[in-house]
Amino acid sequence: MNLAQTWFKQKGWKPHKFQKETWAAIKAGKSGLLNAPTGFGKTFAIWFGVIQHFYDHPKPKANKLHCLYISPLRALSKEIFLATNRVSHDLGLPYSIELRTGDSSMKDRTRQKKDKHQALITTPESMHLMLAAKGYREQFSNLAFVIIDEWHELLGSKRGVQIELALAHLKAINPNLRVWGISATIGNMEQAKDILLGPVSGHTEIIKANLEKKITINTVLPDEIEKFPWGGHLGLKLLPKLVPIIEESKSTLLFTNMRSQAETWYQQLLEQVPDLAGRIALHHSSIDFQTRKWVEEQLHSGSLKIVVCTSSLDLGVDFRPVDTIIQVGSAKGVARFIQRAGRSGHSPGEKSRIYFVPTNSLEIVEGSALKDAVRHQLIESRIPYVRSFDVLIQFMVTLGVSEGFQSESLYREIKTTHAFQSVTPEEWQWCLDFITRGGQSLGAYDEFHKVVLEDGLYRVTSKAIAARHRMNIGTIVGTSMMNVKVLGGKNLGTIEEAFISRLKPGNVFWFAGRNLELHSVKDMTAIVRASKEKNGIIPSWLGGKMPLSSQLSSSIRKALTHYKEGGKLDEELKKLKPLFELQQEVSHLPGNDELLIEKLKTREGYHIFMYPFDGRLVHEGMATLLSYRIGLLTPVTFSISMNDYGFELLSDQDIQVEELIDNNLFSDEFVYEDAIRSINSSQMAQRRFRDIASIAGLVFTGYPGQEKKTRHLQASSQLFFKVFEDNEEQNLLLLQAYDEVINFELEISRQQAAFRRINTQKIVVTYPTKPTPFCFAIMVARFREVYSNEPIEVRVEKLLKQIEKK
Amino acid sequence: MQIRIRETDFTLLAEKALWRPDTEQLIIADIHLGKASHFRKAGISIPADSVLEDMRRLDLLMKSHQPKEVILLGDLFHSSYNREWHLFESFLESFPGIQFILVKGNHDILKKDRYELPNFSVMDTWEDGMFLYSHEPMEHADKFVFSGHVHPGITLSGKGKQHLSLPCFHISPKQAVLPAFGKLTGLYILDRNEKDNYYLVYNGIVRKV
Repeated sequence: MNLAQTWFKQKGWKPHKFQKETWAAIKAGKSGLLNAPTGFGKTFAIWFGVIQHFYDHPKPKANKLHCLYISPLRALSKEIFLATNRVSHDLGLPYSIELRTGDSSMKDRTRQKKDKHQALITTPESMHLMLAAKGYREQFSNLAFVIIDEWHELLGSKRGVQIELALAHLKAINPNLRVWGISATIGNMEQAKDILLGPVSGHTEIIKANLEKKITINTVLPDEIEKFPWGGHLGLKLLPKLVPIIEESKSTLLFTNMRSQAETWYQQLLEQVPDLAGRIALHHSSIDFQTRKWVEEQLHSGSLKIVVCTSSLDLGVDFRPVDTIIQVGSAKGVARFIQRAGRSGHSPGEKSRIYFVPTNSLEIVEGSALKDAVRHQLIESRIPYVRSFDVLIQFMVTLGVSEGFQSESLYREIKTTHAFQSVTPEEWQWCLDFITRGGQSLGAYDEFHKVVLEDGLYRVTSKAIAARHRMNIGTIVGTSMMNVKVLGGKNLGTIEEAFISRLKPGNVFWFAGRNLELHSVKDMTAIVRASKEKNGIIPSWLGGKMPLSSQLSSSIRKALTHYKEGGKLDEELKKLKPLFELQQEVSHLPGNDELLIEKLKTREGYHIFMYPFDGRLVHEGMATLLSYRIGLLTPVTFSISMNDYGFELLSDQDIQVEELIDNNLFSDEFVYEDAIRSINSSQMAQRRFRDIASIAGLVFTGYPGQEKKTRHLQASSQLFFKVFEDNEEQNLLLLQAYDEVINFELEISRQQAAFRRINTQKIVVTYPTKPTPFCFAIMVARFREVYSNEPIEVRVEKLLKQIEKK
Repeated sequence: MQIRIRETDFTLLAEKALWRPDTEQLIIADIHLGKASHFRKAGISIPADSVLEDMRRLDLLMKSHQPKEVILLGDLFHSSYNREWHLFESFLESFPGIQFILVKGNHDILKKDRYELPNFSVMDTWEDGMFLYSHEPMEHADKFVFSGHVHPGITLSGKGKQHLSLPCFHISPKQAVLPAFGKLTGLYILDRNEKDNYYLVYNGIVRKV
């Protein structure tokens, strides 16, 4: 029997072409990657292939696990769980599916171990937890399929590395294992497939659904550009213009880039449009899980007019009633913008509709750039993590906890993964040393002698270490969060401990859409009660500092050039005309073949602004690197500020940057080396190391319910960092921290490309007397980095001289 | 750096301690020994190097000044008992002729008998002539008070949005607050006022603000 045909006929549906292609490919024994958007039956495209295989190959051991379905999102897992079980039920197929996530109770897990089911839906973390349990080899001995959902999401994270390791291990148990991934469109589709599948037996294939939805993009423009702010990121100025849009839509999702911004927008919408009360909700990752679930249910049922949210609603199950998306501020990337737009318009034949709301005048240009980028499908690539030794060490201990491993065979396995293909035998030995003896520098401490070698098998023998390790499995290291609870009432969600610790009882703050007064703090819970006061502080959360992607950056440069060359102007560029004219008058408007540098003297000191339009991370890296190069010639201290368009070097002395340019300031040689040297004095690698130390199990994040304060975690990981730097320069975890900074925080390859580009550009230096439209937003930015190579004595004397003059 | 308090000379040491030449007394606040082991016990593993460094600095200070008496202004030991206390015990043994006086701080919660060492005495506060030694800052009608507890520091700000935070001695007309000696300690940034004097300590330098 052809199960798919039967079932689709039963339902009176017609399968898509890509579904039929996938079924055929699976039947032919291939592994592959399915490139399809959500909401078009991508799960069924894979699923009927899987159950058909089960049906066609009846085995005596039919009660063993046949398929493992890994999804990064719990909400999606639930949906898939229901859908797949329904199929089995409809067809009367003896194929039962279980769900296991971090939410599953102990009781469920024990039952799952005993009960016989054919498929299991789970998360990458739960998957590794299963590998930490005795008997997993037996459990997986009959496994025929592993499905990885949302592979594009996992690929660019350490969870992707977890998947690679687990797959390599499962393939070693079952050489005939078939692997299928499901991914949205990304720039590096082919690479994504190769990384996921690795060396598999049989042919592989990418199947494209070609069902991309049509998107209508509108930029919400201010009436008068002259009255629109040059700086800022909240975007409230345009709120009145959104009211008719919200009113005319069935249901709207309003995305902001930061949680604090979502809180502000929620508050302001309620205040300015009071009749939204009861029809508006707030959704972000700090809000209590139950509340978020409720909001999602209300979205499904269509009873909410608008939900203000953050990336917390980027992914997940589709909400049919939602027909409009509003994006406040830069979406930072084309893929993200399309993803968000795609959260609307799910009724058949409907388009996705998205409104882009710029938060400052220059940002309007992004509207123009986005339209262009979407038209040309300039989708970003996901850059995979490689050589994540923290994840590898965690994995080794995981296997040690359950059935142990042999060094040689595990080394062979990990060498087949993309992440660890370059690991040398010496490096592998280092990892073994590290888990057995704490490596060179930690040998004296018993707590790092986790794994022991017995009869050629590496195993964890201590029950305490095993228990701690199971609790530590995973690669997402959170900041320390405090529960927020109403006095004698319910949980509202969680806030960073750092924010609460700045408040005193009686202080008022705004959270989860309510004005709250801090009553007391007990353990890791902040007890609050409702406040009548109008103005509370809005908590600032970490994060939200995602950089502009290179696709979007180059689209912005293209838009500026288009304007300069007198091309036909779209509404965004037309609106920007007066601003561009002003910029041209007081300074200069750079085209694609130019790099603009502005020098400005104010009360604060001497400012140098540069505008490569390469995104804030690249700018941070460039600014530090240029500071370093300038510092080679003269002792100097810079305060560094940046945004997605440019950066500022602020100093107390006048730097003759014009001369330095002739002196190879922008040389594209030694960019990598200079970047490494320039960050030596900075804190970046240390910050990265915090996560690495936690994943590798160096610091223990605590038993559930009594998580350690992250401040302590930070303190202790810093000490490890120091010890490794002083005593063991070649420590792989230390080197990893630097590599991660170089690749992910400084985006070195983008930086090198930027320097190469600058070398082909004409450098234009201007000397405005007042802040320009370009520099204003950078100048007023609050978050700043410092670069200094002046001796501390000199800095103190300089500062004291200024203070004493007053 | 020399200062005069109640007709008595004192030297502010760049080692973050106070030296009184006439009586050959060394005054030190907030060493916070045992912090590393305390963390390690809680599952946060700190390599012990940082502790050893504090002990080394203490040792150097003893050898360079050869005091007759050492006054510890509280928070000598960070937590409940752990092995690092032995380090301190053997440290005491190596200076048998020198009296150590601890005025107890909020962190000094070891059991009494741990303190029963030959050249060591413990009290809540200690009065010595016109001076009073206490862990926490306090006002006294006629005595001048030396204390710690605060971990005082000052932030310097200037052109080019520059900021530097450094530990300091905080000397007011009626009391002096010492910077924390221990390395594993934070800073509490003070708001400066006109009446008081502040002495920054950094890089082997003491510098008046």
